[in-house]
This record gives sequence, C-alpha cells and structure tokens, in this order.
Amino acid sequence: MNKTIAAVLVFATLAVASVALSQSFSVQMGANKGPAQPIKFSHKIHAGKLQMDCRFCHYGAYKSQWANIPAMSTCMGCHKIAVADRPEIIKLTGFWDRGEQIPWVKVHTLPDHVKFNHKRHVQSGFQCQECHGPVQEMDVVYQYSSLKMGWCVSCHRQNLNDQKRPATMDCLVCHH
Amino acid sequence: MSDSVVFSRRDFLKLVGVGVAGAAAGCAKPPADKLYPYLVAPDDILPGVPYHYASTCRECPVGCGIVVRAREGRAIKIEGNPKHPIGQGGLCARGQSGLQGLYDPDRVKSPMVRNGATWKNVTWDEAIAMVGEKLAAAKGKTLLLTGLESGSTRALASEWAAAAGARLVMWEPFGYEAVKAANAKTFGLASVPRYAFENARCVVSFGTDFLETFGQPVSQARGFAAMRAKHEDGAGHFISVEPRLSLTGANADEWVAIKPGAELSLALGMAHVILNENLGPALGERGAMLSAVSAFTPEAVAAQTDVKAEDVQRLARLFAKSSGKSLAIAGGIATQGPNATALVAAVNLLNYAAGNVGSTVLFDRPLNLDGLASYAEFAAIVAEMANGAFDVAFVHGTNPAYSTPAWTKFADGFGKVGFKVSLSGTLDETAALCDVILPSAHALESWGDAQSAKGVWSLQQPSMRPLPMFDSRPFGDTLITLATAANVTGAWGATAFDDLKARWKAQHARFGNGRSFDLFWDETVAAGGVWEDAANTSVRWAGTPAFAAPAAAEGDFALVVTPSNNFYDGRGANKPWLQELPDMTSKAVWGSWAEIHPETAKKLGVKSGDAIVIETSAGKVEVPAYLYSGIRKDTVALGLGQGHTAYGRYAQARGVNALALLPEGTDAASGALAYQGARAKLSRGSKAMGLYLQQAEKNQHERELAQVIPVAALLAGGHGEHGAHAGHSLGRLTEKGGILSEEVQTKPGKYTEPLARPEGYVPPAHSLSAFEPKEKVRHPKSEPVSEGSYGKNAKHRWAMAIDLNACNGCAACVVACYAENNIPVVGPELIKKGREMAWIRIDRFEDKLDGGANDVRFLPSMCQHCSDAPCEMVCPVYATYHTSEGLNGQVYNRCVGTRYCSNNCPYKARSFNWFDYSAPEKTTFAFPEPLNWQLNPDVTVRSKGVMEKCTMCVQRILEGKGNARDEKRELRDGEIQTACSQSCPTQAITFGDLADPASAVHAKSYGERKYWVLEELHTRPGVTYLQKIQRETTNEGHA
Repeated sequence: MNKTIAAVLVFATLAVASVALSQSFSVQMGANKGPAQPIKFSHKIHAGKLQMDCRFCHYGAYKSQWANIPAMSTCMGCHKIAVADRPEIIKLTGFWDRGEQIPWVKVHTLPDHVKFNHKRHVQSGFQCQECHGPVQEMDVVYQYSSLKMGWCVSCHRQNLNDQKRPATMDCLVCHH
Repeated sequence: MSDSVVFSRRDFLKLVGVGVAGAAAGCAKPPADKLYPYLVAPDDILPGVPYHYASTCRECPVGCGIVVRAREGRAIKIEGNPKHPIGQGGLCARGQSGLQGLYDPDRVKSPMVRNGATWKNVTWDEAIAMVGEKLAAAKGKTLLLTGLESGSTRALASEWAAAAGARLVMWEPFGYEAVKAANAKTFGLASVPRYAFENARCVVSFGTDFLETFGQPVSQARGFAAMRAKHEDGAGHFISVEPRLSLTGANADEWVAIKPGAELSLALGMAHVILNENLGPALGERGAMLSAVSAFTPEAVAAQTDVKAEDVQRLARLFAKSSGKSLAIAGGIATQGPNATALVAAVNLLNYAAGNVGSTVLFDRPLNLDGLASYAEFAAIVAEMANGAFDVAFVHGTNPAYSTPAWTKFADGFGKVGFKVSLSGTLDETAALCDVILPSAHALESWGDAQSAKGVWSLQQPSMRPLPMFDSRPFGDTLITLATAANVTGAWGATAFDDLKARWKAQHARFGNGRSFDLFWDETVAAGGVWEDAANTSVRWAGTPAFAAPAAAEGDFALVVTPSNNFYDGRGANKPWLQELPDMTSKAVWGSWAEIHPETAKKLGVKSGDAIVIETSAGKVEVPAYLYSGIRKDTVALGLGQGHTAYGRYAQARGVNALALLPEGTDAASGALAYQGARAKLSRGSKAMGLYLQQAEKNQHERELAQVIPVAALLAGGHGEHGAHAGHSLGRLTEKGGILSEEVQTKPGKYTEPLARPEGYVPPAHSLSAFEPKEKVRHPKSEPVSEGSYGKNAKHRWAMAIDLNACNGCAACVVACYAENNIPVVGPELIKKGREMAWIRIDRFEDKLDGGANDVRFLPSMCQHCSDAPCEMVCPVYATYHTSEGLNGQVYNRCVGTRYCSNNCPYKARSFNWFDYSAPEKTTFAFPEPLNWQLNPDVTVRSKGVMEKCTMCVQRILEGKGNARDEKRELRDGEIQTACSQSCPTQAITFGDLADPASAVHAKSYGERKYWVLEELHTRPGVTYLQKIQRETTNEGHA
C-alpha cells in the first residue's frame, strides 16, 4: 500500500471523526457559552430579574413564523432613560445615534430546507423555554436544544394524538 | 518485510495531530450569520407575514387590476385583483412576469451620459442640471414621446409639455387604429368596444387574437370561457378565419383557412347572405347595406377567398342562427394589412346585420386610448425630427427604435435631434440611441394610476421601496424636477405623488360619498381604484364605406407577422420566464422560427429546425423552420417580439425581428402601419439553426390524454371518448383485435380481492380519489396499502379538477408557477434535452389541423398526486411519499437523486436539478442579483441532484390552514388557491378539498365530463380532468 494514500486516509478519517465528535459535544454539552454579541444584552436581567414577557420584545412569536428580534426603537423605549449611564447602554445609544443596526450574532440557525413556524407552536400553548431553555437564566444566550430533526420529531411523535394540540408527522409541514 | 505497516508509530501520531488540527482549522465554524434589527419597526410589516398591495398592471396598455404579494419588503408575486373589473382576478403570463421587469439585473443603475460609444455614470443632480439647461434652451423645440399613458400621468405630461413648450406624442405599435377608424365611419364613435363574449353564442374571429394581445385579453378569456361552457341549446360555436391558426384560433371548432388579406370578402359575403335571406333583425338600413355588399355574393367571395360558396352560406346561417347573440371580431395585428379598416368595417356591418351591436358589441367600457397618436401623426413627427424641428427629445415607455420597421426611418429622424434623453428604466434600443438616460422607476415601485377603460380609475401603488441597486426615479418626478431645473412652472404638485393625489380630488368628488379625502384615498388605495357601472353608448349605423374586393396578391408566399402571446410587441423579451415559456403554437422557446406547412417544407427540402431564408422586398432573415399544419401552404408566419439588439442579456441577440421584413405600407383608410400584406420568397438556408422545442410531438398517438365530448353526447347525458371508445385504450385489445368485455379480471385470488374491512369502515381522507376504474378489475389497492399512523387526524384530501373546455392554452398558470415556486430558468439547450424545470406545462395536441373542423387540445399537465403513485413505490430513500392529506410529497433534503421516481412517473411530472441553478458561481445560475429578490421565502430553493415537482402549492395550503387556525374556524372552500388556479383567467383549474362534499372541486371531480389521464394505469390521480366540449359547425346550427 502506498504510504501517501494511507496517510491521506488516516488524515481524512480522523478529520471526519474529530469533527463529528466536537460537533456532537458542543451540542450535547449545551455549549455553556453562546456567541459573544456586539452588546452584552442579558436575558437574565430582562426576562429573569425584570420578569418581562418574552413576547414584549419578540412580538412576532405568536403572529408570524419568525419570532423576530426587536427593533432598536423597542430598546430605546426604556433605555433613553433607564440606566442610560451603563457602558453597554452607552454602546446601544451609540448605535442608535449613528443610525446603525446592531449586528446581532445569530444563535439559532436552521438550514434553508427547514421551515419552522413560531406562531403555530406558541399559539398551541408551548412555552418558549420548552425549546429555548431557561433563557431567563442566561446572561449570554446559547442554543439549548439540538434543533436536529430527531429532536423535532420526538416531540411531534409524543403529541401526535394530543387533543388540544395535535402534532403532525408529515414531512411537508417543515420541508417544502 | 511486510507491506502492512507503512509508517512508524511516531509518524502515525504526527498524522493524528495534523489530522485533528486540520479538521479544527478547516471546519472552524463559518462566520456566524448576523441578524440586523430594524431601527424603528414599521407599523405595517411583520417579518414572516406576507402583505398584499392592490395595484395596476403596466405590462401592456390594458391595465388589469393586480394584487402584489410582498414579503419583508420585497414584491414576490403578482396576482389578479378579483374585485377589479378589468381582469376580474385573472392575470396573463405577461402580467405575472412584471416582477422580472422590476428585478431585471440589466436595469439602468444610475443616470448615464453618453461618452462616445460608452456610458458614463453621473449623479441625478448633474444629469438634471445638464438636461434642464438643454430643456430651457430648446424652448418650443422639444418632443416628449411616450407609450400610452392615461389618468394622472398623462395629465401631468401634457401640462408639462404645454408649459415647457414641448409636443407630447403617445405612440403604441398596437394602437387599434383600424378599429377606431372603422368604428368612426360605421358607428360614429372612434373607440374600441368591449366585446361581451359572455353574451355570445357564436363567435367568428377574423384573424384576431382576442385571447392573446387584442383588446382586454384576460377579461375576454373569462367571457369566452362562459360562452364555451355547456349550454342547453348546444350553442357556443367559435369559428376562426385566418390563414395561420393562432393560439386563439386553436380553440375554434372550425378553422377557415382563408387566403391572406381576403378576410373582408368573407365577412361581407356572410353579411350578404344574412341580409339577402333576411336572417337578421329587421333593419332600416337593410337596403343600403345590401347594395353595399351586393358584389359579395357567395360565389364571388369563393373566388376571392378560397372558401367554398356553400361554406360562406353555411357560416352565415350558423352566425345568424344566434342573431343578436353572435359576435364577429376583427382588428388584431394579424390582419392589420393594407385593408385593415375595411375589414373591421365589414365585420361591423356583419355584426350590425345580425343584430349584435348593443348586445355583444358594447360601448359601455371601451378601452381608453384617448390621445394615442396614429401612425400618420407618428410619421409626421419622425419627418419633423429629420428636418431638425426638435432640439431635445424625451422618450419614455415606448421603444420605437425596435418596434417600428426600418422604413419608418425613426432611427434616422431621431438621430437628427440634437439632444436625446431616455427616461426608460432599461437600456432598450431607443435608449441606446440617446445622449442621456434618466432611469425611471418600475411601475411596481412607484405611484401612478391608469384609466384603462371608461368608468374605471385604477390606482398603481408601489409594493416596495425602490430597489437600492438602481438609482431610478418615478417618471413624473423626473418631469417635475426637470421643469424646475429649466425654470418651467406649472400647476403640478411638488412630487409626482402629490400631483397624483391632487388630481384624484376629482374622483373623490365623484366617489367620495361623504368620506373625507384621506379616508377615500386610503380605501381606494386598498381596493386598487374606483369604478362604476358604465352605461352603454348605443350606436346606430352611421355610414357604409365603399368596399373593394381585395387585390389579388403576387409573389410566392404571403408573410403573416404574428403578435406574440409571450412578448406582446417585444416589450416582454427581457424576461427569462417569458423566454422560457413555450410559445403555445409551436411549443418553441428562446428564439425565432418561421412557421411553414409541412408540404411547403417538403418542396423546399427542409426538415423541422432547418434554416430557411425569408426574403421580402424589404430584407431577408434566416430562421429555423417549424413545420405547422395550421398554416396555409402559400403562407409563412413569423412572430414579433424577438431579435432585440439591446434590452438586456435575456433579450439581446435572440432570433430575428420580423419587422425587418416589412416593406413600406400602411392601411389605406386609417394610415395604420401595415404589418401584413408582404409577399415573401422562401429558400433553404445554410446556417445551423437552433429550434428549441419544449414539446416536439403534438400527436396523442391515441392515448386519449386530452379528451373531448361531442356536445350532443353531453346533452344526452352520455360520455365522450372515454365511454365511446374505452376499448381503444392501450392494452385492452384482444389478440385478434376485438375489444374485451368489461369484466376482464374476475378470477378471485389472494392478492386481487379487496381488503377485508370491518363494518362501518370509513376510509381515511387522504386515500380519497374521484377515480373510478372503467373495467371491473379486482385490484388489491382500492384503498391505499397503509393508512399510516400519521393519517388519523387528517381531514383533507387536496385535489384538483381541470376543465379542458375552459383552458385556452394561454399559459398564464405556467408563469404563475415559476414565480410562486422558485423554478429556475434553464435556457434553450437544456430545454431541447427535455430538462425544463417547469412544474406545470400545457401540452398541445393537434388531433385535426388542416382547415375545416378543427381539433387542437390543450392539456395542463402537472403532478397528478396519485393515490397509488408509481413514483412513491420506487424511491429507495422515501424522499417521495404520500402525505396524510393526499398529496404526493417530495422531501428535497432526503432526495439522493436516483431519478427512479421520474423514470416511473407516467405523466412526466418530475424535473431533476441536473445543475446547480441556485449557485451564484455556476454558469447555470438562474437568479442573478436582483432576480433572487423575487424568490419565495416559503419555498426551498432546490440544489443540484434533487428531484422536484408540483406540490399543489403546499406552502399555500399550510398558510391557509394556519390562517383558519389563527381565526379559530374551519377552512372555507376556495380560501386556498394554488398559484395556477389563482392566475387562470378562465378559472379552468379548481383546487380544493375532495373530502369536503360541499367543495367545488368535489362537485367537478364527481360531476359530468370527468376523466383521468392514463386512467388505465390505475394510479388513482388526485387531478380529475373535465372533457372539452366538441361542437360541430357543419350541420348549420346547434345540436
């Protein structure tokens, strides 16, 4: 056997294996830290300490397929006055004054061939935490659930015959 | 030494290290997606929720009412406005394609100034200052040349022209001049009437493509379908008189293959018979009319037209049988020759003699063509330009450098104008001749209005903000800023929008009903306009022109130049959807071709696709030949709309411009430009030519795919072909040629007995099909193999009923499907290989096509969503499967591209992504920026190696069900419409829930005329077809 081919084979196998391993780790260990955001917005303070309803900001969640991230005017509604002297709020005000959009880093990403509909799930009574985890305890939001198809399907299967919120196992509901 | 150990342990560990590091480096997470929030959330937009804006279509001069669907601030789909009187909810293929005009990647990006042979980008301020200075200096020597504008834009343009000392000339190639001239002469009213097809019971068209470009095609198609529906008296005949059978004519019961240019003789001959035999109503003018047509006896007509004398009489009697409810129609471009006005006058006489004027020919809602220049006026302007009468010319919304033949010398005259400014959004042929381009915004991103017909004031509302990559301005705004720069003042508003609103005070006074203007405005914008029932202007016969027999033609072949259902006069040619949409006569795409009779081809020694040279006194072109039985042997036809020398990547250098063949000529009475009447020589060409046929075979080979039912059988409650020759279907003949008795498989067996079911068993909804096998076959799957645990909650069975009697082959559905489902355009070479991606196609079958009784059938064909689907059982990865609501699903991410499903689909309903049409780096990329802005975010853009097909717009089904759940109610029948059923001008496609016995689709699927394509395969389709009603015209009357 040619040494080069063997070397390439070992390299490729290990590369694939280590990717698989690290990916599944990062998913399973919940990746305690989410991505660093341009402003250190804390859900722990807003949703936890201040007990704000998730839908106060993410108002699309019950009427659109997307939960939506709030407009900066929503932030400024309070922060024009509230704790306006804190460094992170000064950053926010800076963006606002410059008329610049905050480049939030996306935490939850689905591939293009998956269509998830927030409205359907929220309207049938799901709590945001069931999928997004204890957001009210997160200083930095991270991806709590795997968002893999098996994870979706297991819940759908459990609720297949639910009287109140019957789920469907039809592929086309998400893949169209 | 063994070969098994190839490197030492140390080497191995090194490799491990490198491998892991490589994986970590190479597979580091790609830069994370960013989410950008709004600074201030708009009140009316919630991302993820579609919004709909009522507006007006500006793709042709008609101005149908439309509703534009927008997502996240982008227009993604255009549909007809069901409440609007023009279009009534339908929209043609050209209208659907308006989006590709908006997102045309070749739109002009900013104002440009000519810099030798190239262009230099300038800012608006620079351009306005420069043009304003020229405008101020050219006082009195300015020309403003536009397409047809009605309503506020015209008012603004004419006030602007008056103030700036400019001449406003509105020019449309298809200007209805002959119709106006003839109606002025015969009815004293120079306008284009509304043809009330819905009131008619017999229609004779003299070469007029009323389902394609003439008049108000969408509304007319709706009325025509009503005329062709089942009537208890069996009436509803349609006879097409033309030398080359058009798409409109393909729907006729009889094709009268008349000598080109002699149509008027037949109209007068028919009138002669009706008047002579007193078959029409009593008329005071009868004597005068009879003397006017006295020369046109059936025998004389026969000599002039190639139509037998007895046929003239027969057609006249058939026409008169529906007297008062018949309709003759003329005036299309395909008859606009040297005697165009005489033909329309003759047809007017025929209508009048049969008592149709006031019942089927109505002047209640005539097209609004006020102010449109005649060709004579246009030619005068060209002459003035050539004489240096104009220092500055502005052009907007018209492209005469392309759309007028060379002999009009437009380009020469235009070249003599000192300073030429184009206000076009695209770099078309006329813009290419200009010195400055001030790009106008597209109609879908600017305010405007149209008064397309009497009694209709239609508003044009922007459906999105102007595209950022194109620095364009609305036409009206450019006019106003130019005036300001040139110190020209007028009573107009500060912006075009202010001006529009101010002018609508007049409509407020009329339709306000006590509402404040703001409330009236908001409600009108939401509705798409205001309209009122217009009273018919009744007309009397005003005078009979002297009719002369058509001159005998000389030369080898008559050249028929045909208007295009896809491109209109050529303005649609820059839209890839329309280029890829097969011409519904030849089924060819992406180019030009000449239609010649197969016998003509034989004489010339050419086969389909071979080059032929067409030569007239004006010029010659070389095009591939398309062999068409629907054309006379002494005629050659060439379509308009192709052969652009500019106008963007999709239009440029495709095919030939038929206008190059037109020798100088005008209609004698109206002065209209003569498109017909040229004589041509044909010869074999030498070039290798590309004829790209999407459907080369137009013979059904007795497969009974598109079926008909004779009207007599229908009225007797019988069956059409299905019942009459069921035995002729494939595989049902005995060896000796006899037909088997009905019960062919009666032997009981383990696998042929129906499944045992408990008493009171209700099959699940998804297994429903209206299908009933003709033979009593014992078939194991009278119900699906598995009900599936997932099917328990399902309540629906989505299904379609397609009425072939209503389908006229206009193909609006095809473009609607492209728009809705992100279908890529693949180009001519792949189409030729059968790799088109369309999910719905209109098959054209020519069962009888040689003059006389005519039988052309159109079959909209898409995935049949079979209950026993052949595709599902061969997919090795379950990528295609049956859903709990009866759909045949296709899961893209599961598909591995074996293509077994496509091989096993008897309907050719599936298309495979041979290439990466969605990858920007590939040459096959179908959505160059900003065409990708149009993509529907609710539909996955498929990638290479994936099979796809019609989903019955499952995204719309989910949206409809979601809306019902939001409102906590049951679904309403008709609430969910697929893209094809919504766009259909004749409502030939009905979509709905077969499991709902009250639904329209249920009624049609279980009603009369039903059949299934390839039903002998027992696929139990979810699509039920309704047979086309076939009417005889030879028995001089109704069945």
